[in-house]
Amino acid sequence: MYPQLHIPDGFLSPQVSLVLWVATAVLIGIAVRKTSRTDVRLAASQPILMGVLGAFIFAAQMFNFPVATGTSGHLLGGVLAGYLLGPWAGTIVMATVIGIQALLFQDGGLLVLGANIFNMGVIGTLGGSFVARGIGTTLGGSRPATILGAGIAAWLAVVAAAGFTTLQLGLSGTTNVAVGLPAMLGVHALIGVGEALITVAALTFIAQTAPDILSGVSAPRKASPVRRLATGVVIAGGVATLASFFASADPDGLEAVAEELGFLDAGLSAPFELFPDYTIPGLDGTASTVVAGLLGMIVVIGVLIALGRLARSRTKS
Amino acid sequence: MEPRGVGRDARAAVITTLAFVTAVALLPPGSYLALLLAWLLLAFAGALLGISPGHLARRGLIALPFVVAAVPIVFLRSDELLWAGTIGPISLQVSGAGLRIALTALLKAWISVQASVLLLALASPPSIVTALRRMRLPDVIATSAGLTIRYLELLRDEARRMLRARTARSASPVGVGRERIGGTIAWRARTTGSLVGSLFLRAYSRAQRIEEAAASRGATGSLSIGTMPAADSRLTLKVIGVLLLVLALTLAGALLPRL
Repeated sequence: MYPQLHIPDGFLSPQVSLVLWVATAVLIGIAVRKTSRTDVRLAASQPILMGVLGAFIFAAQMFNFPVATGTSGHLLGGVLAGYLLGPWAGTIVMATVIGIQALLFQDGGLLVLGANIFNMGVIGTLGGSFVARGIGTTLGGSRPATILGAGIAAWLAVVAAAGFTTLQLGLSGTTNVAVGLPAMLGVHALIGVGEALITVAALTFIAQTAPDILSGVSAPRKASPVRRLATGVVIAGGVATLASFFASADPDGLEAVAEELGFLDAGLSAPFELFPDYTIPGLDGTASTVVAGLLGMIVVIGVLIALGRLARSRTKS
Repeated sequence: MEPRGVGRDARAAVITTLAFVTAVALLPPGSYLALLLAWLLLAFAGALLGISPGHLARRGLIALPFVVAAVPIVFLRSDELLWAGTIGPISLQVSGAGLRIALTALLKAWISVQASVLLLALASPPSIVTALRRMRLPDVIATSAGLTIRYLELLRDEARRMLRARTARSASPVGVGRERIGGTIAWRARTTGSLVGSLFLRAYSRAQRIEEAAASRGATGSLSIGTMPAADSRLTLKVIGVLLLVLALTLAGALLPRL
């Protein structure tokens, strides 16, 4: 058993639940319009493919692999569905799967279904798929690059979904965000690795076994270098902003509690710190954190470009 | 037990369940008496359908593990301290208000799960989808949900067989003398990913066959409207009854003493 993301009824306040129902309904409505706007033959066959692949995602969530005794890697499948069906159709499929899990298996509540679809469907699948596409095109748009992008996005999607779940629980007054957030993010940073590994392995298998299917369902995109760089910067900026929420150096939730409970001294500091407490020595306050964030962003973009070169040279050879 | 009401308009059952769950969620923390009332209502409805309260109560336990999420609040709120002290090097406090919030959330989850168990006893999954379609669920979602439900067991069975085959062929990750066998984590993940990939290929080719079969019969991309059961003629009356019940439960939450 692992701390899961399917919130049951009773843990979110009605206000939070309803706001997220509205947000989910709007976004799913957009997804329905986007997927219905295809030619007639495709429009007739799409619900069938989506329905059967919904059952596939359901079944794929049964697959696990042992990590150590007692713990195992799982698949949620959001980014996988988004890669195979496109972001919008993939989101509808995940929303359907989450809805069926709630209605037929009592896995997640009914009043909070909007929140669960929001976290795993909208954030995890729609957001995850666009991040995957962005990373994929930034890396050059080759098949290995897009699969690598899906892997990174799969990890981010699980962690982000866990973060949103905790924030909603916090807004409802059911959990203490200062303690709950680091705990949930920490656990799901590990669970996300399983998600990323399975996603990459599954897509690699499909790409090798049936490349024609993959090119039919999601063609790699060719983007201009300028657009590619722009997407990269936007995504990296988004990640940096998200990260700076979690990495704020002043009274960090866990640290504050640890200080109070008196076990801060027991905590080990990292073996080396490039930017201690995410600040640049010599600068102070917010400016310093932002500069550290930007530097981090540049490093991330550099690593991505290097990985892209590597992926491209591997496809050429 | 075979679900009742197959081929009947399930809208009243769906609306009742959603309204009941909403009413339960609206109860303020500590309203244990109102929660008891809500559970007695459920147990009564279950008894009418031939489900024993014990069975219902056990089915409700599925939501229990999530209470982990509410544990921090018991120890981190500093109001209405019930207990404070030290265990070894850690000083701890237990907040009465936090305990009340966690316990209420737990009971609400337990009761709400039982409500959706009753919904399934009242209406079959396809009739729930039909009811949702009548309640303006977009056609793409209703159709793909219907197909997902139809092929769910088939693909889950396929996945089960693949997992059994994997178990039969590969060793456990940790051997008797705790030596590592069965490859690295990355290797295990790749094996599992390949299984997921081949399950996708099977699902995809099945979808293609269904498409061809459907196209040859002149399918338009939507499950036939003709299979819809007759509309419930007393729906308005039932919905009014449900709303009164919900109102009564909410009032009970406001008026009954809280702990």
